[in-house]
Amino acid sequence: MDTIFDIYLLEAIVNGVLLGGVLGLLALGLNLVFGVIDVVWICYAELVMLGMYTVYFLHVVYGVPVLLACLGAVVVVGVLGALLHYLVIRPVLQSEPINQLLVTGGVLFFLQSFATLVFGIEFRNLGLKLPILNFGEMYFSYARVLAFLVALAGMVGLYLFLTRTFLGTAIRAIAQDREIMPLMGVDSRKLYLVTSGIGGGLAGLAACLLVLQYDVHPAIGLTFGPITFMICVLGGLGNMIGGFVAAFIISQFISIGGFFFHIEWGYVIAFAFFILTMFIRPQGLFGK
Amino acid sequence: MRLGFPARVSVLAGALVCGSALSAAADIKIGVIYDLTGPFAGGGSKAAAIGTQIAIDMINEKGGVEGHKIIPINADAQSKADVAINEAERLLNQEKVDLLMGVYSSAHCVPLAQKVDAAQKFFWANVCVASAVFKDKNLKYVFRPQVHSDQFGEASCKFLAEVAKPKMKKEVKDLKVAIIHEDGPYGVGVAQGNEEVCKELGMQVVLKEGYSASSADLSSLVTKLKRARPDVILHTGYNPDITLFLRQSREGGLRFDAMIGHGAGYGQIDKLIETFKDDVNYFYNVDPVAAQLLDAKSLKPGIGDLTAEMIKRYKAQTGVQEVPPHTSMGFNQTWIFLSDVLPRAIKKYGGFDAEALRKAALETNIPEGGTIQGYGVKFNPPGHKMAGQNALSSPVVMQYVKGETKIAWPTGLRTIDPVIPLPKGHAYAR
Repeated sequence: MDTIFDIYLLEAIVNGVLLGGVLGLLALGLNLVFGVIDVVWICYAELVMLGMYTVYFLHVVYGVPVLLACLGAVVVVGVLGALLHYLVIRPVLQSEPINQLLVTGGVLFFLQSFATLVFGIEFRNLGLKLPILNFGEMYFSYARVLAFLVALAGMVGLYLFLTRTFLGTAIRAIAQDREIMPLMGVDSRKLYLVTSGIGGGLAGLAACLLVLQYDVHPAIGLTFGPITFMICVLGGLGNMIGGFVAAFIISQFISIGGFFFHIEWGYVIAFAFFILTMFIRPQGLFGK
Repeated sequence: MRLGFPARVSVLAGALVCGSALSAAADIKIGVIYDLTGPFAGGGSKAAAIGTQIAIDMINEKGGVEGHKIIPINADAQSKADVAINEAERLLNQEKVDLLMGVYSSAHCVPLAQKVDAAQKFFWANVCVASAVFKDKNLKYVFRPQVHSDQFGEASCKFLAEVAKPKMKKEVKDLKVAIIHEDGPYGVGVAQGNEEVCKELGMQVVLKEGYSASSADLSSLVTKLKRARPDVILHTGYNPDITLFLRQSREGGLRFDAMIGHGAGYGQIDKLIETFKDDVNYFYNVDPVAAQLLDAKSLKPGIGDLTAEMIKRYKAQTGVQEVPPHTSMGFNQTWIFLSDVLPRAIKKYGGFDAEALRKAALETNIPEGGTIQGYGVKFNPPGHKMAGQNALSSPVVMQYVKGETKIAWPTGLRTIDPVIPLPKGHAYAR
């Protein structure tokens, strides 16, 4: 056993934590939108894909510095999030949940096809070589460490926004009771629009960190969409802390499970845990 | 108006002549299936589709096949097996194509081949390589001139056995190899060939593991490889997973003496260089050779001109300078079918239905040097465990050196003295 519990296991654990940061950041925006508007954006990962393309085109094609390009992506995807709400969600807000789900599913295919037509099928990347972080025999991805830190900062920033600002308080209030708040004079339509913009902005932020680690192509959303959705459900749909914790649980299953067994077993164990949790707590780990 | 007997005979005769002329000029509809969208499109499928289209264009420009114009009905499998199968059914049942051709992914090829064969329709596989398409299936109407995955696995191990002592200063039995692969029929097939042959040659297989091509994270695989410390990594994958693996390997501090890829994503040298620049210098790729790398003098007269024309048209169409092996695969198999099998089916067997095409395919006998990729074509007969697979096809081991592709194995075709292990200073060198 002494060969199993070694420095490489520690590396796998830390890599799991870093992966958790990436997945946690992805779950953040989706949870915010669901928590407030009660609509699941099935097309969330496709917004991330568009954000990745934004960074790519701004930086590689138009020569905009990476940081500015990322800022641009946050703004662009934020606007797209607001547009998604205004054009697609708002007309079906009073419809059955299944209709809302299907309409965002339709947007998913629309965005994938749109990206294929407009950007082509090529795999694109920033071509950046980030420095490598190593401690003795352990090596870590700089991009992952950055993603982890930004995810934490995003979480804290969102928490402060929701608890310390008037707008944030209004968003929390409407999330608690969507029926009563409009009767008290709160403009729910405006709040939904702002929330969708923030949700989109968080997708844009995730895009900035993913584009440092992955090639962008029209189908990249398929890599992250299902697992992000699963994490949100596991943590309790709409619960941001729950989503964050669930991201770290799932990522540890993937990383350590994949280290001890065949790499695909990591996913099998993670999904088995998810199914088991759904039997025991259908509302998710932190859901009410 | 009532026609007299002579007039009726004339009309009837005229109708027969016209009918015969029409049937002689009837178009041949070929359902061409490739992944034009989704991750496989950029992994070589689109390049193969262009190769196929170039071959069809060139044949049609010469008047078609025995007077028949070739009409391709293109279908996009969208990098999804279910779509590939649905499109095949649509092409056969609604478009009423005379045969199917193409298919990039082995994951699509395996179920599609069985389905088409069961329906007694003809399928000419151009790019997919999994041996599982044919092994012990005894297919009657499916043929593949392309190399198969067992040969991929074999080529890399035999190459390593040859260079272990003189280049790596190691006995073959001391050579440690790790086999990693995407877990579809293509990756599994090649990895199986790798394992069998490398073990047979006495090498140590220190790790063998598959993963999903759409995996979001391969860092635990990188960590395991670091622990296993292989000298050589034998990798089979598509495009997004290869770039993810190489990126995470570099960031994870993985070091090795050689990386040998097996087609698909590793065949896309321009994409690899665009992403990794010098980091992929001296990497190897096992694939059917890109036709432009072969010395035209070693081929039958006129074959080199075909290659030149294909390259010219591909560059004009895409604007790229480095033509991937997939273009040669798409072109070559299509050309073999249109210039050898189809004319024989029409002339000798009276048409181009599945039975005529099957008989004509079984009589194919193109000697080595008779195709743009160098290999000959002769299909294994019914009853053979690989019935329908070309028995004369063979891959080569190529090495990427400063953006150029060189042939490292077989020794007789070498255009470079292989560089192995990776030189000091290389991003992945030990």
